Parts: sequence; C-alpha cells; structure tokens
Amino acid sequence: MAEENVTFTLPDLGEGLVEATVLEWQVSVGDVVERNAPLVEVETTKSAVVIPSPQAGRIVELHAEEDQAVPVGDPLVTFAVQGRAPQAGIVGRVPTEEARPARRVRLKPPAD
Amino acid sequence: MTELIDRTDTAADAPVLEELSMQQAINRALRVLLAEDPDVLVFGEDVGALGGVFRVTDGLQKEFGDQRVFDTPLAESAIMGMAVGLAMNGWRPVPELQFDGFAYPAVDQIVNQVARMNYRTRGAAPMPITLRLPSFGGIQAPEHHGESLEALFAHTPGLKVAAPSDPADAYGLLLQSVRSDDPVVYMEPKARYWDRRPVRLTEPTDPIGTSRVVRPGRHATLIAWGAMVHRCLQVAELAAEDGVELEVLDLRWLKPIDAAGLAASVARTRRAVVVHEAPLTAGLGAEVAALVTEQCFRDLAAPVQRVTGFDVPYPAGPLEPQYLPTIDRILFAVQRTLEY
Repeated sequence: MAEENVTFTLPDLGEGLVEATVLEWQVSVGDVVERNAPLVEVETTKSAVVIPSPQAGRIVELHAEEDQAVPVGDPLVTFAVQGRAPQAGIVGRVPTEEARPARRVRLKPPAD
Repeated sequence: MTELIDRTDTAADAPVLEELSMQQAINRALRVLLAEDPDVLVFGEDVGALGGVFRVTDGLQKEFGDQRVFDTPLAESAIMGMAVGLAMNGWRPVPELQFDGFAYPAVDQIVNQVARMNYRTRGAAPMPITLRLPSFGGIQAPEHHGESLEALFAHTPGLKVAAPSDPADAYGLLLQSVRSDDPVVYMEPKARYWDRRPVRLTEPTDPIGTSRVVRPGRHATLIAWGAMVHRCLQVAELAAEDGVELEVLDLRWLKPIDAAGLAASVARTRRAVVVHEAPLTAGLGAEVAALVTEQCFRDLAAPVQRVTGFDVPYPAGPLEPQYLPTIDRILFAVQRTLEY
C-alpha cells in the first residue's frame, strides 16, 4: 500500500491556550511509533505535558526545535502512514486481526 | 402439479461468491428490502447524506430518495416514537440508533410502545419495526459508544432480538427481521463490521429463532453471539492444538432462544461455556445456563461456565481489552469444565 503523509498540529492543551513550548522530543525522524506512544513533552502556561501520538506511523518531520514555542494549530509532526485502512467513521477504530492470537492457558483433554 | 425447482442450482439465479464486509452485506440487505417493499423506510442520525457513521447505509439515499432514506434530529426517543407512528400507519420502519449506548433515551419508546402496541391493540396495530443497533464493544470507542444491551431487550416481552456474527448471516437475519411483522432489535456487532470474506448472499432458510453450529466439536460447546463468536472460533482453533475439540454454537437469535439447538449440542458434548460481553450478573448467559441445565442436567459433566464482561460500567476504549472476555479467560473456563 502506498504511504501518505499526515501532519499533526498542536492541539489546544487547555482551555484557550495559544501556544506551547517544546521541552523534549521523545521520538526522532525515522522512528516508527504506535498510537498513544509518547511523542513530545511540551510546556504550556499551565503545566508540562506529554502528548501521545494520535496515530501509528513513521515520523518524517518534526516541525519544531526543543525550546521553541509553537502556536496552537501549527504543524507539530508529520507521519508517513500506510494507505488509508477502512475508517471507523467518527469514533472508535477498526480492530486489528492477529494471525495467531497469543495464549497462556493450555488445555488437558478429558479422559472420556 | 407443483413443480419443484432447486433454485440454488439454476445458473442464472445462483448467488455469486463475493468478497464482502459485514457493513456491505447489511447494506445489500437494506437495498433488497427497500426495493422489494415500498413501505420500508430507513432513517436515523446521519444515515442519509453521510451514509451512516459505519458506512452501512452508504448510497441508499441516493438510490431510493430522501423520502425513504432520511436523516433525523439527534433525538433517539423521537426516532423510535416516529417509528411507532409510521408503523401504525402501515409503514415498515427500519430505524437506526447510531450506537447502543444511545439507545437508553429511547428505551421508553422501545419498551412501553414498540414492544406493547400489538398486545395493547389486540393485534390491530402490529409494529413491524426493525431497530438496527450497532452494538457491543471492540472498537475502543469512548464511553456510551459500546454497550451490550441484549439482556434488557430479550427480557422485554414483545421484542425479538437478533445478533449476527458474520456477513452472510447479517444479510439473512436482517431480511428476516424486517420482513417479520414483530418488532426486532437487530444488534450489529461493531467489531465485526470490517470482517471481509467471500460470501454468498442467500435468502434465509432457517426459521427465526434457530441457532447454528459454526464449528463442530465433541468435548465442550462454546455458546456465543455477535463478535464473541469470532473469539470463540479463535479459542476453538487454539484448543485443537491441545487435542480438545470445541463446538462453537452461534446463538444469533437471543429472543426467541433456540433451546432445542442448545440441548442438541450440549447433550453431545456434555460441557458448555457461554461467552458474552455484557456484565455477568443477570446477563443473558444466566438464561442460557438455565436452559442448558434444565434440558441437559443428566448429560452434563460439569456446571455450565460463564465468561463475560465484569460487573462494572462498560469501560471506555483503552480498558476494553481488559474488560472483554479474553482468549485465556475462555480457555480457562473450558479447562474448568474438562477437569470438573
């Protein structure tokens, strides 16, 4: 499947905050991240907070240096993602199928 | 003289093998129903222009017009109330409530009107309503977007309840539900919407209220419906590696329940494990366990086991994997029946 680039913009992390300062990137260009993996720690006028990755993908660009202030709505990071899987619609996500699901419990066949 | 024709064998009519998801199979059933009966109406939040949040009603408004496939206000109680009025005036409504968690505001209409009207009017106002209800969890949606309400509806006299587990059955069960003059709550397992496989869409042949064995086995019967059927099939696959042959019975009609089908399977396997997403207490698993025990008491080698969600509110997305019956919890219950 073809890859496409998706850019994640800095969300409003509080109520009406206008910017955040990048403290520390927890990913580098080229990293492949899972959804919800820690992406970047930023500081707002309210607190320091770690932003989790909104999706899985390969990081292709970080749009800010550490210590740089980023306005809300400006690009933060760009991912390369595999061609769009079927969308879950408005909420939720499409379940992923494991070819061979993990197990721990083993069974003993009955004597009869 | 009546001529008997085996329609499945005539080349022109033979259903073709198609690769379809459950979304698409349900969409096809709705197309058939809208085309065959001008009284069928499809409506709900976003089912028209958008084609449904799960794309199930995709293209229907374009094909059948906005008089027969239409969007409603965001008011579940009004959607079901409208279905009642339309049914009383001769229509065959197929409303959708977008998520099962949103059904609660409509429970008054469903329980007090839809389920009772036929009784109240001594049959003068049947309610041929099929409520399409995207149900259960497994897509890690926020709170109120995943529930498991089958026990509530199965407990309400006057309603039939269906929960298909794969695309072909979703197609057949929906045709039966809508054609039935009784109200049916048709619970679509959200987690299986994207289940895509080669299927032949055929007219349903089994009567309403029949279960089906989706995998035969001899050591124990796993009983499930909706998305849990797939999980039980995974469990049966793993159990086979240990030399344990599990039968998987897809209940699919939760009201009426196929008591005879349950008895036939468990009388052979002598052990039963019922699996559902809803909480344990007063869940439908208790009803299944009671039916099995009543009919198979002397055959049973072990008490019926229940593997269910926990007695907590249905959790929001990230906790879902911990809440839903896992493969290991089901295997463990099977082992308990094997070594009893």
